[in-house]
Amino acid sequence: MRKYIEIFKSQLQLDAAYNGWFWANAVASVIGLLIAFSFWHAVYRHTTQIANMNLPKMISYVVIAMILGNYVSGVGNRLSESIRSGEVAIELMKPYDLLLKLIWLDLGSKVSASVRNSLPLLVIGYAFLGVQAPVSLAGGALFAVSAILGVLIGTQFDLIIGVLAFWTVNVWGLRVLRTGILSIFTGALIPVTLFPAWLLRISEVLPFQSMVYTPVAIYTGAIPFQAVGMTLLIQTIWLIGLYVLVRLIWSVALRKVVIFGG
Amino acid sequence: MTVWRYARLYLEFVKQVLKVWLEYRVDFFIGALSTIVIQFASLLFVTVVFEHIQQLNGWSFYQILFIYGIAATGRSIHLIFFDNLWTLGWQYIRTGNFDRLLIRPINPLFHLIADRIQQDGVGQLAIGLVVLIVAATHDGTVWTPASLLLLILLILSSGVIFSAVNLFFATLSFWMVDSLPVMFATFSLSDFARYPLTIYNKGIRVLLTWIIPYGFTAFYPAASILEPAKFGLMALITPLVAAICSVLAYLFWNVGLRAYTSTGN
Amino acid sequence: MIRVEHLSKEYKIARRKPGLRGAAQNLFHRTYDTKAAVSDVSFSIDQGEMVGYIGANGAGKSTTIKMLCGILTPTAGEVRVAGIVPYKQRQRNARNIGAVFGQRTQLFWDIPARESFNLLKHIYQIPQHRFDENLRTFSDVLELEPLFGRPVRQMSLGEKMRCELAAAFLQDPLVVYLDEPTIGLDVSVKARIRKFIREMNRNRKTTVILTTHDMQDIEEICSRLIMIDAGRLLYDGDLRSVRQRFGNRRTIHFDLATTATDTAMPAQLAPWVFAEWEGREKVHIQFDARQTSASDVIAAMMQSYAVRDLTITDPSIESIVKDIYERGLS
Repeated sequence: MRKYIEIFKSQLQLDAAYNGWFWANAVASVIGLLIAFSFWHAVYRHTTQIANMNLPKMISYVVIAMILGNYVSGVGNRLSESIRSGEVAIELMKPYDLLLKLIWLDLGSKVSASVRNSLPLLVIGYAFLGVQAPVSLAGGALFAVSAILGVLIGTQFDLIIGVLAFWTVNVWGLRVLRTGILSIFTGALIPVTLFPAWLLRISEVLPFQSMVYTPVAIYTGAIPFQAVGMTLLIQTIWLIGLYVLVRLIWSVALRKVVIFGG
Repeated sequence: MTVWRYARLYLEFVKQVLKVWLEYRVDFFIGALSTIVIQFASLLFVTVVFEHIQQLNGWSFYQILFIYGIAATGRSIHLIFFDNLWTLGWQYIRTGNFDRLLIRPINPLFHLIADRIQQDGVGQLAIGLVVLIVAATHDGTVWTPASLLLLILLILSSGVIFSAVNLFFATLSFWMVDSLPVMFATFSLSDFARYPLTIYNKGIRVLLTWIIPYGFTAFYPAASILEPAKFGLMALITPLVAAICSVLAYLFWNVGLRAYTSTGN
Repeated sequence: MIRVEHLSKEYKIARRKPGLRGAAQNLFHRTYDTKAAVSDVSFSIDQGEMVGYIGANGAGKSTTIKMLCGILTPTAGEVRVAGIVPYKQRQRNARNIGAVFGQRTQLFWDIPARESFNLLKHIYQIPQHRFDENLRTFSDVLELEPLFGRPVRQMSLGEKMRCELAAAFLQDPLVVYLDEPTIGLDVSVKARIRKFIREMNRNRKTTVILTTHDMQDIEEICSRLIMIDAGRLLYDGDLRSVRQRFGNRRTIHFDLATTATDTAMPAQLAPWVFAEWEGREKVHIQFDARQTSASDVIAAMMQSYAVRDLTITDPSIESIVKDIYERGLS
């Protein structure tokens, strides 16, 4: 059923008559918030600290991470659809760089999503769930920078999955696989610091925690101020690395298009 | 007899679907695998949290897993067999294909449901069963043939409740052409049912017990087995809720169908 | 076989007010416009008749067919198909009918045609020997054999339509409704399909109701015409009188190379033709082939105008309906 919803949404995104989905998504998001809120309250009933986080801090983490987690998906879907339908051949003849176009489209829709989806969640979080403000003004600013880096990393990763449509037929399976991996390793569900040691080690060498965990940890102050510079650097390196990787795969894929004639 | 005839007809539909699955083995495999990955992610979440705590509101790790397992298997029944309800609006009514079902000499709802059997649900069924077995052998419950039978009945009821609620909201498509967003929003309520209802505030508990009874898809049936002293009655009520939901949803479906045949599309 | 008495169908269309405020108002207070899709239509069709049910788009054809199938409930009037009121006993009626609805498939999208037929066998409870026999007969005329292994989604339009027809006749229906069965097909497939329909009717006395925009379909299949316009019955009678009137009707479409300064017809044509200008560079000229010939019309036009291109067509259903509507059939 998730498949249909995805297909349907990707179709609907094309036209503006999107109202029903806006409300449906809003309801689903609020429900997600309420579940997380109740769950963590129950968790903290018999303990005050988990991995150095108290309840208010954990709630702040979970809510902000949930909001940021909505940004990790992107235009990869559109790319893979146009590859599958062969439309990509027409796109390639147009006088712009398709990848850059997609990245900008992606950012555009994310900006509008932040007003439509994130803002209401943030308001609910602050007003009713006890989400704390960032540790300091500077912390808030650094969070913003880190969050933007994280969103950009997410976009690149999504494009990688999208380009793979050149090689696989079952794009849908790949996307679900992606969703599974992201929900574990980005830290959108749970701070990676709660992971058992072996899992934490895996997470640390992967780019995913840069998408959500890093910015939100800066927000909650879990990453100390002196260390923020280093984490931002790591995020930047991942961003550049993934961008280069996308370009690389893309150029290989293009050769394939040229050979098979689309 | 009609029931017998429909059962045989359903088997014929299933045969066809299996042939299609065999033809697209890789798709089937990827579909099942990917749902397993999704399930695995949320299981990992619970496991990681329980690294840091002993109990959640009085429920142990394996008890939580047990609830989760019932939710997953019940939902998989719905996903495998009743998945086509999701497509009523945009695949049947919007395109006019629903008329095809109406000129057949069989019940259109049966036809709609039999038209598709969804492979992705198989992965969820598999992981749900594994979780159930692991949980049931660790949570301290003493299992008897009778209680196992009860468990099966409760899981079937869970699947029926999922499907009946969905049928109810899918039926709205007869008036609004496509009720998929409404179905989606309602279905997301079922995520509440993965944890003990006792962790939620009263409003949510009332909603999930009396209005959209997702509480009976996992928590209440699980609790009736885990805590028979306190929740034993729920073992009786759950199948009853399933029956009532089905009847109400089917009556509503018939109202929708009548509206459809009087307004057309 | 089919009796339709004073059949009417009105649709209620909610009048939507624009904007957010309008949407909110619509929630509480809706105003409806009623649109009569079919008004007071009566006819009866005997077993074994082949009837062309024609009219312009939106005339109420498919609304009528839907009511005959039981998909729609009439606002007023009565329908009986083989003694059954379709919308009251939809499933019983479904046993007696077969249908091809233009572009929509009656088959199962993903599974091979043979399996699709097989499922239909179970759905309609067709006895095995009838099923085998029918499939064999149909395969001969429609050449289905090579299609058996393929699912509908991989078929061309013509291949699909051949399978659709087989599916519609598979359960030995008493009545078959065919909605645009030849639309978009090439000439040889059209011929094959028409032949199939005629044979079914001859051998099995199947009643056929055909809606189409293709005059050729009607000429080759139907013996009777029912014409509907704006929901009202316009003509019900044999094809012969319509053919006498319109069989010699021709239309020539001229594309002019230059903009015409004068839209009056050349004097030698004027008494015989009816001209319809589309802007000043296109003109459609209608005439009766018994009164003047195509070559005369073309010659006269070439003299008066710089003609760039021309095509000759038979009259369209729309023009016939319009003509009968305006002038009657005398």
